[in-house]
Amino acid sequence: MNERLQDLLKNGPKVINIGVEQFALDLKEQEVPTVQMDWRPPQVESDLLSKLKKLRKK
Amino acid sequence: MQRLEVMPRTYYDSITLMRVAKEITSMEGIENASLSMGTEANLRILAAAGFDLSGINVTPNDLVIAVSGEDAVLDEALSKAKEYLANPPWKKEGGKSESYKPRSLDGAISVLPEANIAMISVAGRYAGDVALDCLHRGLNVMLYSDNVPLEKEIEIKKLAREKGLFVMGPDCGTAIVRGVAMGMANICPTGPVSIVAAAGTGLQEVHVQLAKRGVGTLHGIGTGGRDVRAEVGGIMVEMATERLLEDDEVEVLVVIGKPPAPEVEKKILERISRGDKPAVLGFIGGESRGDRDGVYICTELEETAAVAAALAKGEDVAEARKELDSAEESLRELAGKHGPRKGWLRGLYSGGTLCYEAQVIAKELLGPIHSNTPLKKDLKLEDSLTSVEHTIVDFGEDEFTQGRLHPMIDVSLRAGRFVEEAKDPGVGVILFDVVIGYGCNPDPARELAEGVLEAKAVAGDRIAFVASICGTEADPQNAARQRSILEDAGVLVCESNARAARLASYLLKG
Repeated sequence: MNERLQDLLKNGPKVINIGVEQFALDLKEQEVPTVQMDWRPPQVESDLLSKLKKLRKK
Repeated sequence: MQRLEVMPRTYYDSITLMRVAKEITSMEGIENASLSMGTEANLRILAAAGFDLSGINVTPNDLVIAVSGEDAVLDEALSKAKEYLANPPWKKEGGKSESYKPRSLDGAISVLPEANIAMISVAGRYAGDVALDCLHRGLNVMLYSDNVPLEKEIEIKKLAREKGLFVMGPDCGTAIVRGVAMGMANICPTGPVSIVAAAGTGLQEVHVQLAKRGVGTLHGIGTGGRDVRAEVGGIMVEMATERLLEDDEVEVLVVIGKPPAPEVEKKILERISRGDKPAVLGFIGGESRGDRDGVYICTELEETAAVAAALAKGEDVAEARKELDSAEESLRELAGKHGPRKGWLRGLYSGGTLCYEAQVIAKELLGPIHSNTPLKKDLKLEDSLTSVEHTIVDFGEDEFTQGRLHPMIDVSLRAGRFVEEAKDPGVGVILFDVVIGYGCNPDPARELAEGVLEAKAVAGDRIAFVASICGTEADPQNAARQRSILEDAGVLVCESNARAARLASYLLKG
């Protein structure tokens, strides 16, 4: 069996929480090792910024 | 009057945004408040709500705060919103967030190198790719997010199978791993039973029903409801079943869900029949009947838990089923005492699987049940806000949750609907679920009981209210306290969802 899966099932979860922070707080209350990630959506350029870039290329 | 403010390159998760919006909306003089990321879909919702978006330049990376109401309070509302974002008032004392939060997955792994699972609850359009990243780094995944495309789910699960890792979800709200409650889950003892669940609130109900019988659960592996559909082919149900059958600590295996695709059901049956431990299959309203070779077939959640508990305790399964029959007899008596009631049944649910089970039971006793998630397509409600004859509504469906908190967190929509239903002179019984545990509303019974009392002020004693509480005394909300709040408001509270659906039906059937 995959080691990480075996570790999960035999020793319990150790969690990287990506998203809703409340879930990390609930896990910490149960004394589960947990890291909250500061996840951000992939950057999308604003219309203005992309227009400026296009102008610069010209 | 209205005011819009754009916070460039600012991100908060949707639950935080919706909670802040709810706080701001409840301020005196505020009509509407919305906090959302500047995606096209969100901008369309804002425009439809009457906000003037002309001249604003936003990207999906920007946060948009929009408030409308009396002019004098709008500035205060905007600054309150920002204050709540920075310092959420609902955060428990001692539950302070960590100061250092890694921005990248690699950063998070370097902080917790022993991490063995990622819990993902970002917007569905990103969640699939985040899950793939986690799998590539050797992490198991619990994917809470919904709206992950089916093709993406298949891609993720195939990769997970290749790597020998679990992917619980997408749309997996509940999991239990070595007794730890992940997501929306209850505090129950750890013990000899393990559950594979293609049904979120179904897992919560079986977990709680086992605890009520003094039996603990080691693992509750959610797979997401679509896993048992033909397109996904039950990849995770099969994998989780396999792993738990091999696990020496698991004495009784339970597999639950709505009825799977026939080929998936066949695969699961074959696999558990070859196993060397007793297994209980609980496909709600499923066609399969009859126990065989250590495999016990059930069609309801409480029945599934009762049979599994009997097996775990070395008791007679037939006896456990007999006890459920006698419980049914007492429900009939109770219905005789409080009924008969005339008219229609209206079920207002927060748990999808519980809603499904209630429809299966009520249909048998009362006939066709209309719903936004009907058992048969032709019974689909034209408008989820307007009930027709016997109706059971799932408030956890998309039409209620887009831009709103899930009904297990925000119960106000259902409490308000009690009053609307009470105005319909044809209604005789209102049935509902109260799901508690981590991740759920901190005191749902209080607001629901207020709704019941308001409804009673409209309808007098014409309508009987019936509910069940999915939770335990150890949960933060305390099931016993929730029960007494509901009972004080005159609600008939049953020991399980199946019993509540039966009592509600018997009250009308006479």
